[in-house]
Amino acid sequence: MKPLVRSVTGVLLTLAMLGAGAQTGAPIVIGASIPLTGGVSTFGQHSRWGSELAIAEANAAGGVLGRKLEIDYQDNRCNPAEAVKSVTQMIAEKKYVAIFDGLCSSAALAIMPLVERAEIPFVVANASATAIAEKSGVGGNKWTFKVNPTDASMLDALVAWLDKEGKAANIAFLGEDTDFGRAGVAGLEAALKKRNRALASVDFYQKGTADFTTVFAKIKAKKPGLLALYAIDADFQNAMRQWYAAGGGIPLTGRVLVDQVPKAIMASGFLDGTTSVQPYDPSIDTPGNKAFVEAFQKRFQTAPILVSFEAYETTRVLIDAIKRAGSTEPAAIRDALTKTKYPSLLGNTIDFDDHNLAHNNAVILGIRGGKVVVLGFSKT
Amino acid sequence: MDAAFFVQLLLNGLVLGVIYALIAMGLSLIFGVLEIINFAHGEFYMLGAMAAYFAVERVHLGYWATIVAVTIGALCVGWVLYEALLARLAGSGFERSILVTLGLSMVLQNGAVFLFTTTPKMLQTADTYSNVTIGGARIALLRVLALGIGVVAYAGLHLMLHRTQVGRAMRGVAQNRDAALMVGIDPRAVSRLAVVVGIGLSGLAGAALAPVYAVHPLMGFAFVFKAFAIIIIGGLGNVSGAAVAALALGVLESVMGGFLPQVVVDALSFGAMILVLLVRPQGLFGRGVRV
Amino acid sequence: MSRSTGLATASALLLVALFAVPLVTRNEYLLALGVSFATFAVLSSGLNLVYGYSGLLSFAQVGFFGLGAYTAALLMTELQWSALPAVVAGGALAAVAGLVIGYSSLRLSRHAFAIVTLSFALLCGIVARDWVSLTRGSMGIPGLPVPTVGAWRIARPADFYWLLLGYSVLANTIIYALVTSRIGRAMRAIKLNEALAQSQGLDPLAHRLLAVTLSASLTGMAGGWFVFYLTIVDPSVFDFYYTETMLIMVILGGPGHFWGVLVSCAVLTVVPDLLRFTTDLRMVLYGAVLIVAMLVLPGGIGGWLDRRRVERWRRIAYGSPR
Repeated sequence: MKPLVRSVTGVLLTLAMLGAGAQTGAPIVIGASIPLTGGVSTFGQHSRWGSELAIAEANAAGGVLGRKLEIDYQDNRCNPAEAVKSVTQMIAEKKYVAIFDGLCSSAALAIMPLVERAEIPFVVANASATAIAEKSGVGGNKWTFKVNPTDASMLDALVAWLDKEGKAANIAFLGEDTDFGRAGVAGLEAALKKRNRALASVDFYQKGTADFTTVFAKIKAKKPGLLALYAIDADFQNAMRQWYAAGGGIPLTGRVLVDQVPKAIMASGFLDGTTSVQPYDPSIDTPGNKAFVEAFQKRFQTAPILVSFEAYETTRVLIDAIKRAGSTEPAAIRDALTKTKYPSLLGNTIDFDDHNLAHNNAVILGIRGGKVVVLGFSKT
Repeated sequence: MDAAFFVQLLLNGLVLGVIYALIAMGLSLIFGVLEIINFAHGEFYMLGAMAAYFAVERVHLGYWATIVAVTIGALCVGWVLYEALLARLAGSGFERSILVTLGLSMVLQNGAVFLFTTTPKMLQTADTYSNVTIGGARIALLRVLALGIGVVAYAGLHLMLHRTQVGRAMRGVAQNRDAALMVGIDPRAVSRLAVVVGIGLSGLAGAALAPVYAVHPLMGFAFVFKAFAIIIIGGLGNVSGAAVAALALGVLESVMGGFLPQVVVDALSFGAMILVLLVRPQGLFGRGVRV
Repeated sequence: MSRSTGLATASALLLVALFAVPLVTRNEYLLALGVSFATFAVLSSGLNLVYGYSGLLSFAQVGFFGLGAYTAALLMTELQWSALPAVVAGGALAAVAGLVIGYSSLRLSRHAFAIVTLSFALLCGIVARDWVSLTRGSMGIPGLPVPTVGAWRIARPADFYWLLLGYSVLANTIIYALVTSRIGRAMRAIKLNEALAQSQGLDPLAHRLLAVTLSASLTGMAGGWFVFYLTIVDPSVFDFYYTETMLIMVILGGPGHFWGVLVSCAVLTVVPDLLRFTTDLRMVLYGAVLIVAMLVLPGGIGGWLDRRRVERWRRIAYGSPR
């Protein structure tokens, strides 16, 4: 009997250890809801690349808590109802330690109530609507964290800059009719009101609009000094073509995606005089950013854009929090996030205020002489 | 009000109207001759645009070569569509034909989404950034070309319907099917030609517009419902009526868009259709009445 | 045991089994399928009532669905109504819309009726998207509050399963009672031969309006409950996808066959999911089925079963063909 008992115990112990080993070997999975198809899919692709790079680097350095990291990407097509469906499904799977981004502001805002109910941390990298921060942290959604600056703070910096150059008058607005576009209007109006001014006109378009010629003609007829453009990805490409066809003539401002302007249009000098505010530009000269741009270029054969960097840095913030939490319990990760003191690749420190919002610098960009130039930095 | 502004709106509207007309005329022709509402009509516009995209980006065909190639392809597809599907629906209830073409639309549209995803594709040609100035208004060269193509296509269709024997036969069938049969018109041949021409027009519109708008699998969806409204406003089965209604709608949408909120523009076609149905159900130009 | 008693017992047993599902499993995927089935059961039975039993090819159903959804959501978020009154109000508004659409378009030709109902649904979507001050447009209204019916807080997936299933049973029972009653037989008579039915004293317009209005209100209420399950309402509730799906369910099951439509609804909800079809592939499949059904089996499976039954009777009555 004794040898039998010993061997059975031995087998059981081995199995238990293998089981435990398998447990500690199981990867840590983060859920991501981003637009993989549709009009914002280029952004979705870059977001995916940015976070993939961060995960790959972390795994190459040994993983976290002895385990590898993984991200599961689900398509939300930049649509809030789709975002809700994809995140609801992710939460039901229950093995995800955190949810990443949403990317589009409307999607992020729709995800926020879900993560609060399910008590899983939600880290926002790209979505910029001010409402996300307003509804988070103290007195609100304690599970949502926003790493990039809000539109309100960035636009305040932009208007301050334009004011210095005497240009902050007679600004017309054209933006997509989403939480992103509406945050743009609200941010600009607040910043202008502080200086006793207002927007000259406000026009919205539906995402996926094919034809901007009518609204461009309408805006040009009113002869504003500047046109604040809040368009992204495919809509932005379309708008650029049609703006060129319409003859332009009015400098652009707002959050113009200077790194996505078609090369032919940029080189022709047509957009010279554009002043834009973004949280990032690939040409920012810090050692951290240079290393990132190089690694990204090498891995994906293309230069990073704003969205890629934001995803990269936010993923690293999240990984850092998981490390400091020492566990994969969502509550522990959330607590670790609130105590974040992460050195940003752009130079300063990322930490969250009482609305779970980080205050990284914004960069004022301009198009001068057919090229993108960094005009200055601003606190947010 | 700025004259240049108005001219700009007018020109934009004409281009839009011509595209509506190309799609609506084909739809009206098919309805007039076969009594079938082709739900899948917008999908052939989309397929034409997709084919143009691949012709330019993969095969590197020039602008005119693409237009010709895609149109010929669309004519062939129309032929296949009639022989394989629509011929079997001859004489069956209208519900059957609506549902069959709806099914076809589902297959084509979602098949395209499955194969190509909904990500919009922008065509890049040498002329993408060329502009033309007309009366103080700037307009992209490609739009002017699309407008020209549409006008030529309409002229061609008008000639065919009014000067050729087979065109007269088609108008006859559209006006009064039984009478046409009695005078010995072959319904099959006429129907086949109507479908070929109708689908050809859609494909042509797609190819002409592929360089102007972004190309994606859902682009036909938006146009086809407006096309339905247009053929009702013009008068079911009246091809010229559809063309006039289409042009008017395009111009109205563009001009109103310069002054009124977007919801008015989007709802205009359906609102006008409901008005016409309540006040003059046979359409503005009646059925098959010459304009 | 007679046939109808057997059928009743079988349905009762099936219902008990369906309601018991959340008690034996916590698999949220199954519960989600159940919610989807329950909702589409109401949508397709509603369409069956209008198309199958009354002969009206209407595309307006999804318009009523979304109208009920937005009404319920707005009443709860803006005016703080509780769930049940809000949903019922949504159904009432949908019924009024159905009455108006029905009355104004039933005297048009069949083609025009189809297109007008289609345009109504499209217009609803356009208004939902463009009237941003009311509906928040494409941004939608996220974070809908948890509905409470009496003391029951409907928050977990199991709760929504029971809610939608219970409502679906209620709605389908109402429809079943209507179509098996005298009024239902009158509707069928009007569909088969309007002139003859009229000569017998039946009023086609009144019967058709009843069908349209009833199905609109039931569909509208389904919309209200459904968006609380989604926790968000946005213009995608008017997507043509719903119209296409409920049409295929009715066509495959057989227009005018109550049970056939319910069975095909169940099959078409479960099978594509089992096959792990993405939405686009599922729609390609539906489209192909629609084409084949229209060319080969216009009466759907219900119609085919009917024909077989008639063949069997004929053989019994007249003997086999020689």
